[in-house]
Amino acid sequence: MEKYEKLEKVGEGTYGKVYKAKEKATGQVVALKKTRLEMDEEGIPPTALREVSLLQLLSQSIYIVRLLSVEHIDKVPKASAPSAQAKPLLYLVFEYLDTDLKKFIDSHRKGPNPRPLPTSLIQSFLFQLCKGVAHCHSHGVLHRDLKPQNLLLDQQKGILKIADLGLGRAFTVPLKSYTHEIVTLWYRAPEVLLGSSHYSTGVDMWSVGCIFAEMARRQALFPGDSEFQQLLNIFKVLGTPTEEQWPGVTSLRDWHVYPRWEPQNLARAVPSLGPDGVDLLTKMLKYNPSERISAKAALDHPYFDSLDKCQF
Amino acid sequence: MEFDLENPLQNFHNLNFDSVSCLFLIESDHIPSQNYSQTLNAGDLDIFVRREVISLISQLTCNLDPLLSYLAINYLDRFLANQGILQPKPWALRLLAISCFSLAAKMMSTEYSATDVQALVELIDGGIIFETQTIQRMEGLILGALQWRMRSITPFSFITFFINLFTLKDPPMGQVLKDRAAEIIFKSQRDIKLLEYKPSIIAASALLCASHELFPFQYPSFLRAISDCSYVNKESVVQCYNVIEDIAAEEEYELSNAILSSSITPVNVLDHHFLSSESDKTNGITVAASTHGQEDSIKDHKRRKITGFYRNNQTVQISRIKTMLRSTASRG
Repeated sequence: MEKYEKLEKVGEGTYGKVYKAKEKATGQVVALKKTRLEMDEEGIPPTALREVSLLQLLSQSIYIVRLLSVEHIDKVPKASAPSAQAKPLLYLVFEYLDTDLKKFIDSHRKGPNPRPLPTSLIQSFLFQLCKGVAHCHSHGVLHRDLKPQNLLLDQQKGILKIADLGLGRAFTVPLKSYTHEIVTLWYRAPEVLLGSSHYSTGVDMWSVGCIFAEMARRQALFPGDSEFQQLLNIFKVLGTPTEEQWPGVTSLRDWHVYPRWEPQNLARAVPSLGPDGVDLLTKMLKYNPSERISAKAALDHPYFDSLDKCQF
Repeated sequence: MEFDLENPLQNFHNLNFDSVSCLFLIESDHIPSQNYSQTLNAGDLDIFVRREVISLISQLTCNLDPLLSYLAINYLDRFLANQGILQPKPWALRLLAISCFSLAAKMMSTEYSATDVQALVELIDGGIIFETQTIQRMEGLILGALQWRMRSITPFSFITFFINLFTLKDPPMGQVLKDRAAEIIFKSQRDIKLLEYKPSIIAASALLCASHELFPFQYPSFLRAISDCSYVNKESVVQCYNVIEDIAAEEEYELSNAILSSSITPVNVLDHHFLSSESDKTNGITVAASTHGQEDSIKDHKRRKITGFYRNNQTVQISRIKTMLRSTASRG
């Protein structure tokens, strides 16, 4: 790793530490993600192999954070503790982007100059997000943890890119992150919260819907601090789901008897969105996962009609 | 619904335009660099090393999914192109072969591992057994050289795309065409003349070659469909087709020899080894030439589960169909 000079620690991601660093030879600023590779008796674990190579394939899209290089380090055991097992490390070297959608929304809510996000910017960010999600889904990959913190921005160019992708299997998602901060549930789809074992592309589209609403509101649509609270927050806005709406919902593993809330008018939750925007949001937040709009179909929704798609 | 992470590109009809163009865009990242074939052509030693390691890989994968060996050889070529040719020490070549095999087996999620392979190798010739850590280190070297791009984009990634361009009168024809093209692709991987062509070009040429053999009347319309495809360079297809046609013809010659020699069925693994190394000297055994006798004798050593779509027995059958079709054609 002598090729890189670590500048600062920029975060402790779900899978390990993240550093901002500079490649000495070129001066290029990069993000270094350090992960420990758990070896099994057959050497490099197949899951790590398959997922990192998947990341390599997917990160060719401009809507996905680019994986520049993979550095695999066989750590030699220290002389002081020669019996210690050598733990190989994997550094994933990504392009560096200076901000993310969470910071961006925060800067519009608080700080010296609170103001709404420009409508055209919401439209453009959502379009790029759907493009990236469609790219993942067409390769058979679910993200499963889409949230504003995982959407990196190049503010000057107005570009949004999806990060933290595809490591869901090799590196199991823990309930608590590295910093013991509870992993956010705000963007989690109801079928996941209700313990469904069969879920698909719909889980990502639910998250996209929540992110869309959050850009318009400058605050989260469903901020819950436990799985139960999270469900109640959703039900209070969208109504308690019924068997007619979503066949099979009451037989899901974690279904309980809930108070029966009536659906609210979604337009009131996102007053700054026009009718097309509300319609698209409604389609992203359908209870029945099979009725939820796909990323590819969302790109053709009238909400994007006024967007100049040639720039993408 | 779970997604098939291993063959995400199998469902081509679901792929949108962006994904297809993305494949064509990045395929060159998954083949050895341009000057690799020149290096190979320049030195006898280099060709020797490549041929030796391929022969070892073929021994390891002899009755497994041919895609496994295809992937392992793809890694080998990309590794040699990136790292330069090794000293041809027998142990180094063997370590390289085992590691390429092991990585390919992991990518295809077979339950077959390097340990199993070594057991098999030992049965064959009592050779060196490597420690897990040694293989692990070699795997690391290969991964580094290939930048962990192990989901190789191969000609197989493009077959369905091209088939869909053809308007087939009879849908089962598509499968026959696909299987024969696959056979040609497997066979031609050993030929260094093909190293300079992109996977998509090899796929298109193999399909054209298969259609010329099997459905000669529809060949002109297939040729037109491929020529009209904006992703492929027509001149490259023509050049590649000429190379592939020779390989396919050469195979026919071998096939007839193999049918003659298959009356002497090898009775054990040692015979098989002898047989395969013999024929490797004369430019490799064909997939189709493997006989049931060999398969059974090795199958007994270990029960294994393989996920894959091209099986040897299937390929053997396809060759038979092909021969039948051809004899019918010449009669008619």
